Amino acid sequence: MSEGNPVVLVVDDEVQIRRFLRAGLELDGFSVQDAETGADALRWATMRPPDLVILDLGLPDMDGSEVLERLRAWSSVPLIVLSVRSNEAEKVRLLESGADDYVVKPFGMAELLARAHAAMRRHVRVSSGEPVVKVGPLAIDLAARIVTINGARVMLTPKEYRLLQLLAQHAGNVVTHQFLLKEVWGSPHLHDTHYLRIFVRKLRQKIETDPTQPRILLTELGVGYRLVAPEATVAATS
Amino acid sequence: MVGMERVRRELRGSVIALAMVAVTTVVVYGLTQSLEVRRGSVIYLLPVLLAGWHLGLIPALVAAVAGVLWSGYFFFSPYYSFYLSRPNEILNLLLFMVVAGVTSHLANSMKQQTELAKKREKEMGNLYAFSRRLAAASSAADIYRAIEEHLASLVQRKVVLFGAAADGEAKPEQAALSQRLHGAIADVQAGRTLATTVDDGAGDIWLVRRVSQKNADFGVIAIDLGSVPPDAIEEVRKRVDDVLSDAAATLERLDVARALNDAKMRSETELLREALIGSVSHELRTPLASILGAATVLSKSAVIAKDERLTSLAGVVRDEAERLNNDIQNLLDATRISREQVRPRQEWIEPQDIVNAALERRRRRLSAHHVSLDVDSNLPFIYVDPVLVEQAFGQIVDNAAKYSPPGSPITVAAKRNGRDIVLSVRDRGVGLTAQENAQIGERFFRGARHAAATSGSGLGLWIAKAFVSANGGKLEAASAGAGQGTTVSIHLPFATPANEPEVGPDE
Repeated sequence: MSEGNPVVLVVDDEVQIRRFLRAGLELDGFSVQDAETGADALRWATMRPPDLVILDLGLPDMDGSEVLERLRAWSSVPLIVLSVRSNEAEKVRLLESGADDYVVKPFGMAELLARAHAAMRRHVRVSSGEPVVKVGPLAIDLAARIVTINGARVMLTPKEYRLLQLLAQHAGNVVTHQFLLKEVWGSPHLHDTHYLRIFVRKLRQKIETDPTQPRILLTELGVGYRLVAPEATVAATS
Repeated sequence: MVGMERVRRELRGSVIALAMVAVTTVVVYGLTQSLEVRRGSVIYLLPVLLAGWHLGLIPALVAAVAGVLWSGYFFFSPYYSFYLSRPNEILNLLLFMVVAGVTSHLANSMKQQTELAKKREKEMGNLYAFSRRLAAASSAADIYRAIEEHLASLVQRKVVLFGAAADGEAKPEQAALSQRLHGAIADVQAGRTLATTVDDGAGDIWLVRRVSQKNADFGVIAIDLGSVPPDAIEEVRKRVDDVLSDAAATLERLDVARALNDAKMRSETELLREALIGSVSHELRTPLASILGAATVLSKSAVIAKDERLTSLAGVVRDEAERLNNDIQNLLDATRISREQVRPRQEWIEPQDIVNAALERRRRRLSAHHVSLDVDSNLPFIYVDPVLVEQAFGQIVDNAAKYSPPGSPITVAAKRNGRDIVLSVRDRGVGLTAQENAQIGERFFRGARHAAATSGSGLGLWIAKAFVSANGGKLEAASAGAGQGTTVSIHLPFATPANEPEVGPDE
């Protein structure tokens, strides 16, 4: 483990889960720091500021969401939540309180790494000001506000562009309905998910090869939308 | 105390009876003066009859004696004197006396019987309503509630019943009782005293006692006796006690104790089962997450990745872990359904999003089949819980893959049909016999043909059906017969023009 490796803080009370996460993350080039409890996690987060946090919600000493909130009070570190299935409301709540993404247990390593890298890339993009997000044939130039497919300009309405821009800024990670509605239509429309459905349909008709089988703008049922991870991420995880 | 009360009542009745006799006398005097009536002692039977009906036996007898005296005064010579001269007149008066006595007795007992019959009828009505409620009660709490209301209607007072066992949290009316009352209730519950009366601090006296009969115990009851003067408490308490011991006997006769026990057993079994499934699913899922995760890490390691056999083994571990996870999810879903805890979170959604999500999640499991998609573009939105419908649809896709040979085609379609959106999965697999089609979707039903060859719990389609109907849709299966393939479809109503979502403003 050289000093240059990104540090990941794995917060989980199950030893076997920590073991495979450690193996998978180290194989991927991370330096792994374990924490069994929420208190441990918060201590490590200050002692050895991580580049990524993987947080299980079921902890013995405090609720995972509490760890998330306390961490978010002072840190914007990329954070992926390990969640259980069939609780979309909880996923949304965690995303709203600052988690970058989630994976549902049981999950494969590739899935977790894809989410993690997407979240880390976003932080890099935000700090470095890298303007272009490329997803397959689609390129979104956030600085010039230009969207192209295979180099050809795509004309979008202001709201369509705003929607795509928000998804591109979080490329690879899920973005909740509520966040998109608030950012595009404003707070009074927080529950008008059908606005979103209609605009996503229009957007898909402009950017997808087959709008009935989207490959770029994916639906996360009950949670939100996800623009698939940019190619750079795919290369990094191979 | 009771004696005093009785004497007071009889005295009051007698005074009223005498008053009635006095009124009669005034009338009789008028009659004798104006019409020269000389026969009519029978008119004095009227106050006797009235007193016997309304006031009881003693006032009636008082009225009879008074009537005899006034009859002698008015109708027997010498007139207008209480003195009787002829023996046959004395006999007449004695006869009147006997008739009055018998009449008053008859009137009185008839009155009592009428009242008794009315009371019986009311009690029977109450009892019938009560036993109907008992039969419909599904939990111990329901039964206690029924008992509480039954007792309240019997004693005609506010009552609060504390079940024999701690049945859940305190009800609001239990919590609202004063501190002193709670102390008394705790004393009776603990058996430190059998019954007690206590002032609730707000001026009402409460009787707190156990409702029990031989070996059946129905808990502790607190009865609001109202603002009773201290010297009357004993008497009121005795009346209530009588009613309650009758009621306890009735409860025992209706076998309420057993109904209560059964209800408690049921809810305990339910709790146990739920706890078991909850803990089993957690206990199994955590290691499953490790197994599946570890398998995916292994398949990525250089050593295994370059050996195809090892890679496929790692794949087997992953697939089987996923299958187990599915089974556990089915168990949990089945519990949710039977506990009626399925609450759809409906939102507007594109039908194709549901289809795509279901297929994406099963990409590995479907890799051996040729899946083709037939989705209409611009399908109307539907208003459903997308997660539940996706689970239901995924179940159908799983079944198609499971009951059709590898390499065979599976056609997944999303179409508009009249007022419905139809999501369907067609396979070229084992098909359904008419008999199987009739039973498909029943809980735990598995076709006898596949019981040995293909594993399964018989829960999948049942769950799918429940999730679809929770969203206002229906699930149908069609097959030309065994070996002819199967088409299973989910029909969901879509928005009519009236409630179709409006388009949000652009620009």
